Amino acid sequence: MKALILVGGFGTRLRPLTLSFPKPLVDFANKPMILHQIEALKAVGVDEVVLAINYQPEVMLNFLKDFEAKLEIKITCSQETEPMGTAGPLALARDKLVDGSGEPFFVLNSDVISEYPLREMIEFHKAHGGEASIMVTKVDEPSKYGVVVMEETTGKVEKFVEKPKLYVGNKINAGIYLLNPSVLDKIELRPTSIEKETFPKIAAAQGLYAMVLPGFWMDIGQPKDYITGLRLYLDSLRKKSPGKLTTGAHIVGNVLVDETAKIGEGCLIGPDVAIGPGCVVESGVRLSRCTVMRGVRIKKHACVSSSIIGWHSTVGQWARIENMTILGEDVHVGDEIYTNGGVVLPHKEIKSNILKPEIVM
Amino acid sequence: MGSSMDEKVVAVIMVGGPTKGTRFRPLSLNIPKPLFPIAGQPMVHHPISACKRIPNLAQIYLVGFYEEREFALYVSAISNELKVPVRYLREDKPHGSAGGLYHFRNLIMEDDPSHIFLLNCDVCCSFPLPEMLEAHRKYGGIGTLLVIKVSPESASQFGELVADPVTNELLHYTEKPETFVSDRINCGVYVFTPDIFTAIREVSSQTKDTGNSATLRRVSSVEALQPATRNSTDFVRLDQDILSPLAGKKQLYTYETKDFWEQIKSPGMSLRCSELYLSQFRLTSPQVLASGDGTKSAIVIGDVFIHPSAKVHPTAKIGPNVSISANARVGPGVRLISCIILDDVEIMENAVVTNAIVGWKSSIGRWSRVQACSSLKSLTFKCFCLVSLNNHEPGSILCRSQAEGVYNSKLGVTILGDSVAVEDEVVVISSIVLPNKTLNVSVQDEIIL
Repeated sequence: MKALILVGGFGTRLRPLTLSFPKPLVDFANKPMILHQIEALKAVGVDEVVLAINYQPEVMLNFLKDFEAKLEIKITCSQETEPMGTAGPLALARDKLVDGSGEPFFVLNSDVISEYPLREMIEFHKAHGGEASIMVTKVDEPSKYGVVVMEETTGKVEKFVEKPKLYVGNKINAGIYLLNPSVLDKIELRPTSIEKETFPKIAAAQGLYAMVLPGFWMDIGQPKDYITGLRLYLDSLRKKSPGKLTTGAHIVGNVLVDETAKIGEGCLIGPDVAIGPGCVVESGVRLSRCTVMRGVRIKKHACVSSSIIGWHSTVGQWARIENMTILGEDVHVGDEIYTNGGVVLPHKEIKSNILKPEIVM
Repeated sequence: MGSSMDEKVVAVIMVGGPTKGTRFRPLSLNIPKPLFPIAGQPMVHHPISACKRIPNLAQIYLVGFYEEREFALYVSAISNELKVPVRYLREDKPHGSAGGLYHFRNLIMEDDPSHIFLLNCDVCCSFPLPEMLEAHRKYGGIGTLLVIKVSPESASQFGELVADPVTNELLHYTEKPETFVSDRINCGVYVFTPDIFTAIREVSSQTKDTGNSATLRRVSSVEALQPATRNSTDFVRLDQDILSPLAGKKQLYTYETKDFWEQIKSPGMSLRCSELYLSQFRLTSPQVLASGDGTKSAIVIGDVFIHPSAKVHPTAKIGPNVSISANARVGPGVRLISCIILDDVEIMENAVVTNAIVGWKSSIGRWSRVQACSSLKSLTFKCFCLVSLNNHEPGSILCRSQAEGVYNSKLGVTILGDSVAVEDEVVVISSIVLPNKTLNVSVQDEIIL
């Protein structure tokens, strides 16, 4: 079975992290974002994943060779020379997605994190016999997104309404599709939108069905949602495989610590913390609601909350990092420094306090 | 050293490396700072072409720790163009300004030069190198520094020095002092005899012997975490480790320039330095500058450089102080003042760009406006020279940005990174926009990541 992951553009909303790595390779819960999706696809029997990208293919391809070997799945890239929108990349990758078997293929959006109930989706798709299935998720503020109006019992999609001013429904497109190869015949090789052009066509022909996504869903393309997403992810991990979470006297709530990380005495870690490979957390440190990426050192008595600490950075003794501070790669925060929402580009030293949210170039 | 006229001279230009110079972001995100265009040429081109005027110049070395491939194309092109051998030497790790020179001493001495020039690539000045060499020969010391007089308030940002008014000997040197020492500062341009290598070696062996740095300083945890190079013996800084100790020993002399001098540390300064070099072209090579009166070509005011491949509509009005790079397209009715327009930029009808740097392949929509401060008046250089928020010079036009954060004092010039699209009728004021963004609403005093 095949799958396409829409990786797309420059990841500018996730800067400064994406100044060091292309977005799909930015770690989330101690794993590159795209690995979460590739693993979920492998688990339902997908043997080839195509990445639709238009940025830094060389960097991606290097990493992918690693994953290919470890996961025993074939990974190829389909490179857009101009942005092709949300449907164009499917047409571009047509040859790779159609293998003559007639099997449907998955399309995933790389920014999205969820439980990936792909097996259930395959069942749903077979049952309704339509041309295309999409996952939808319930949100509180549907007018921010594209709302999918559907029949409650069968899931048959009536129409899409982009950012509706009046309430038409509370289910939005979750960015996970399962499509029959015949859908590719409906997509021209030009920049096109799957929600505005392709799906409405299929819905009009009564061939599009929507399944409500069980479990959590988050678009982690920007730092605020990344941090919320980690909480949802760890919550789900507690329910599904609690063994992966770390426990101990110094742990509160859901915490994920890589086995190569070291944590000192007298720390209090959690809730909703992920600590990556090779990290050193010295004694007396308080961490909550934060992501600590590979190779970070957090010195004694420091306190970090609701923030993201980028690869190989250091946080000085007694430093306090909070309120959506995002440190890029190789950022060094001096002792006793306070940062409130600072967004710091890679390779910087922070020697004075950042009292209110500010971008440090 | 004899004063024979066929003694060779080698020039070394320090270009730095990628982890240094974060002050030049966002322009340095996609291009090494030394290659950023100033007055239509890469920054490093200006010291290189100044070196060409040195009699008996044998070789120019660019020393830095960027990857070789970043300089490969440039170095071969410039060697051909100027007919002088230019070579890029990569340091495996930062050795400091003197350490870098010492590290490559064998290569430098290969041509058996009688004199070695050392220049910093991000210095903007008239580079009076032949005159410096002549003065150095007369003084007979091991080195001569280019110095300039600045305002007492701004002197503390640099290396301050005291020179004997008669003999021009360097009597005292101190880097970025907290109290006032002198209003003469070190320009970062030097000429040495090969004895300088002995002086550097003596300093490094002294550090080996004493085992620790001469001054006692609290080392913050951040510094202690730096790679060992900083504290090791082969990191030697020219200013603190060589010039300071040798001052007053009849070894070092000074040569004063009365022309302009700036350091290109921030993107805003690159605009100011572009202006200085363009006005220098007016004197030395006026044919390089553009001209026009609106009939066959656009109206040009003041010093303007337009690359031959750029297309500028005759109804546009350009200048003063504008540089337009290769393949840029400037549409009808566009007004450009004090700006740098990089390669492949498209500026559409009736747009206005002032006090800005527009990055490669960006596009500026119709009737949009990209500017720095709220007034359209051309800014004096005092505005650009502001580095710390404490500089209050009476009489200078106050158009600093309103940002309060310590880190944002560079918002005097609007900077658009590569491939930024400003849509029609959008206004961008005093902002910095990182590459690959599209602005469809107006912004002011913002950094757009």
